[in-house]
Amino acid sequence: MHIPDGFIPLWQCIIYYIIVIIVGYFAVKWAKENLHEKQIPLLAILAAGIFAIQVLNIPTPLGASGHMVGAALVAILLGSPFAGFLVLAVVLIIQGLVFGDGGITALGINIFNMGVLGSSIGFYSFKGLKSIIKDIPAVFIGSFLSLLIPALIIAIELWVAGRFPLKEGLFLMSTYHIIIGLVVEGLISTIVYTSLKKIRPDLLSGVVNNG
Amino acid sequence: MNITIDKIEQESWKDSIIHSLDARIKLILTILIIVYTVYTTDFFVLLLLEIYVIILLLLSKISISYFVKRILMILPFGGFIAIFQPFIKEGLILYTLPFGLTVSYEGILFGTLLFSRLIVCLSAIVLLSSVTPLDSIVNSMRKLGFPKEMAMILSMTVRYLFVFFDELKNIRTSQKSRCFNIGSKKTSYSWRLKQIAYTIMMLFLKSFEKGETVYYSMLARAYNGEAISYKEESPIMKVDYGIIVLTLIIIFSSEIIRFNGFI
Repeated sequence: MHIPDGFIPLWQCIIYYIIVIIVGYFAVKWAKENLHEKQIPLLAILAAGIFAIQVLNIPTPLGASGHMVGAALVAILLGSPFAGFLVLAVVLIIQGLVFGDGGITALGINIFNMGVLGSSIGFYSFKGLKSIIKDIPAVFIGSFLSLLIPALIIAIELWVAGRFPLKEGLFLMSTYHIIIGLVVEGLISTIVYTSLKKIRPDLLSGVVNNG
Repeated sequence: MNITIDKIEQESWKDSIIHSLDARIKLILTILIIVYTVYTTDFFVLLLLEIYVIILLLLSKISISYFVKRILMILPFGGFIAIFQPFIKEGLILYTLPFGLTVSYEGILFGTLLFSRLIVCLSAIVLLSSVTPLDSIVNSMRKLGFPKEMAMILSMTVRYLFVFFDELKNIRTSQKSRCFNIGSKKTSYSWRLKQIAYTIMMLFLKSFEKGETVYYSMLARAYNGEAISYKEESPIMKVDYGIIVLTLIIIFSSEIIRFNGFI
């Protein structure tokens, strides 16, 4: 899901950077105003945890394997898409700078896809569905969508950049990410959510207060 | 071909002329090379940049096989898109394959361009991370004016990254000692998936709990939400300026030569 350097023209990279910087400004402002200062170290350490989680490659029954992104889960647990954005932004900066996973000019677009879209889609679909169905299926659908929709948007972005035809891109990205989204992101986030709810219900305060 | 974060960090603590450059300079250098690589469409320029990165690599005494392994590790996704280009780009048709597939000349050129760009960018990044320890990359970002709050989160994340990689390793070793194998078909898939989910849950929980403990210990040391942390002062030396000037000369001269149509 990480778009590498050299695939998106520079002027488009700048647009994504601008969007991410604007969201980043509001996210930092949100963190200062709404969070107890406690959450700043918490976000940092959570980012380290997410980084380790993303290393785990999980096989699916159909052969393809993938890893979790975790944007939706963080946003749901901490009760704001901004939290997911901050954590993912930190993870992606380190991945881009150290591992070359993603890139430097493509950092903006990657943070936009996973940090901005992933966490807000995950969080708001969870929030919207929670009142209609119960919270556990809402976590499943929210985290599934948080992976699938950005994947489709990547196909569109690559098409806008003139790198991949739209129809084929959408087809390839959706077939792969439906499987990964259902099994890896969806099911695992749900199991993590349910077991955290059992073991440390106090940690889910974000869901109670804001959700 | 599994290179762990510990190995990357170990390489970055070696001693060479490139290692001893200021981290800010190395970061700027990498960004310059990558931005120019993404900007240019000229194969000669890309080749020149790659040679330049390889010379820096040789000066830094990083082993070539380690360097190549790291690039191969991150190549797949981008390489995939590049390899597809000959089949999807319209243009002069060179070959016609079964199933209506065609290979176009423009597509091959464009695919090669994307692939070469990818290689140069990855080389630059791998060089940066092989010669600069993680925390000095992050510190230099702050010195270069990265927002205070984000810089603080980044530097704390980097510090705890290794803790969590160790945690993950411990969990995996203990699972292995109980004969757990993700790919094994002897147990049901749902059971295996559940075990993975529990591993992830444990990492989550541990990061939450660690976050709380760290916060309390910071509080006990008079932390009040303001991100003030110790910055190591390191003056920028002549050799640092030298390498930036050299890179700029390479970039500008190749741009001027290209502009005038010599190549």
